[in-house]
Amino acid sequence: MSIIIDILLAILTVYLALQSLLVHRLTQNVFLFFAFGLALALAWVRLGAVDVAITEAAIASGFLGVLFLDALRDFSDTSSKKWDDLELVRNSLHSKNPKSLFLPRLALVLGLLLFLFISLEAIWKIPDGGGLTAAAEAMLPESGVEHPVTAVLLNFRAYDTWLEIGVILLGLLAVFTVGGIKIYRKPQAITHDPLLRQVILFSTPILFLFGAFILYFGKSGPGGAFQAAVLWGAIGILLYLGGKPIFTVIPRWLLRLILTIGLGFFLLLGFLIIASGGALFEYPPAYAGILILIVETLAAISIAAALTAIFANLNQMTEEPKESNQPIE
Amino acid sequence: MMIKEIITVILLVVGCFFFLAGTLGVLRFPDLFSRLHALTKADNLGLGFIAAAMALHIASPWAALKIFSIWFFTLLASSTSCYLIARFQKEKDQPSSRKEEE
Repeated sequence: MSIIIDILLAILTVYLALQSLLVHRLTQNVFLFFAFGLALALAWVRLGAVDVAITEAAIASGFLGVLFLDALRDFSDTSSKKWDDLELVRNSLHSKNPKSLFLPRLALVLGLLLFLFISLEAIWKIPDGGGLTAAAEAMLPESGVEHPVTAVLLNFRAYDTWLEIGVILLGLLAVFTVGGIKIYRKPQAITHDPLLRQVILFSTPILFLFGAFILYFGKSGPGGAFQAAVLWGAIGILLYLGGKPIFTVIPRWLLRLILTIGLGFFLLLGFLIIASGGALFEYPPAYAGILILIVETLAAISIAAALTAIFANLNQMTEEPKESNQPIE
Repeated sequence: MMIKEIITVILLVVGCFFFLAGTLGVLRFPDLFSRLHALTKADNLGLGFIAAAMALHIASPWAALKIFSIWFFTLLASSTSCYLIARFQKEKDQPSSRKEEE
């Protein structure tokens, strides 16, 4: 029975992925991408990787989806008149000269073949005894946490996680570089809607609490910094959309501190451990639990602030020209 | 035991029926407002029945509380977003009416 569900889910995931790439209207692309993310999250659940499923649903489908929706709105706002022209250009590109498509197609086929071989090899050569699982399980008591995934992410392979936090910060820096750090103003959207405001104000503390719970629960089960960060980031985005951008009330140096503290504390910790004679991120087992919790909390705060800032800044950049063009009501 | 399972199955079937009806409505209804109507019915009632079935199936008060809070927050989110979409569409249809109200 469950094999049927798995097969259906696999077919659905691949179908949605292909559809979200091949469909010609942008709106459909975006919403198929949502559906694809959810199907993928379900697939991770079926594989038993609940951590990955939550992260997939939260970051890939949720946060990225919000960014896509936002881009879609700006795109339809600015170029709804040019839409038909765009479609025309697109169609002509498709039909113009098929010879120019030969190289991309070749690359695509070669890439798919390579991917197929690699995945076949990966399936073929599953190491006996589940690879490093046994080693990770054996060292679990020394990691300071009870959940193997958290132990791997924040203790045994903390270097990777540290770099991941850095990647998000880099993404924000890229947004800043394009748009510059602007002064955050209140957006002009449906901010005076009483219902929306009440719902946002109602859900803010609950989201915060739930994020904190997920963060703390990461010690013993699926959860952790990234998942909590998305929930907290959702608070920031909701407040921004509801006309209460938090970046207007905190000073800029504090914002910079918040944005970098996750990466910075992680780095500082690693440096201190090296200075005291250990390897990078080799926590002393006695303090590992509390250190991981601090690192995770600060990382979650940083990531949440970065996600909010990415959204707010992208929104800001697109709102500027609209305001100068549009006559005031 | 038997009766509990039968009730669970009935609740699941009713929930799936509402989801099916909602999907059909989204696909077949002519305009945005009636589609929203169909969609939120699926969210509210369909998910409600399925949540009730799951709570009955698991039969632990904490799990039931969690399941019903999932339902409650979905209700909140779906009705709010439905309202916002409907409002956006209404203002798009008749942009002058908003000014008169104000």
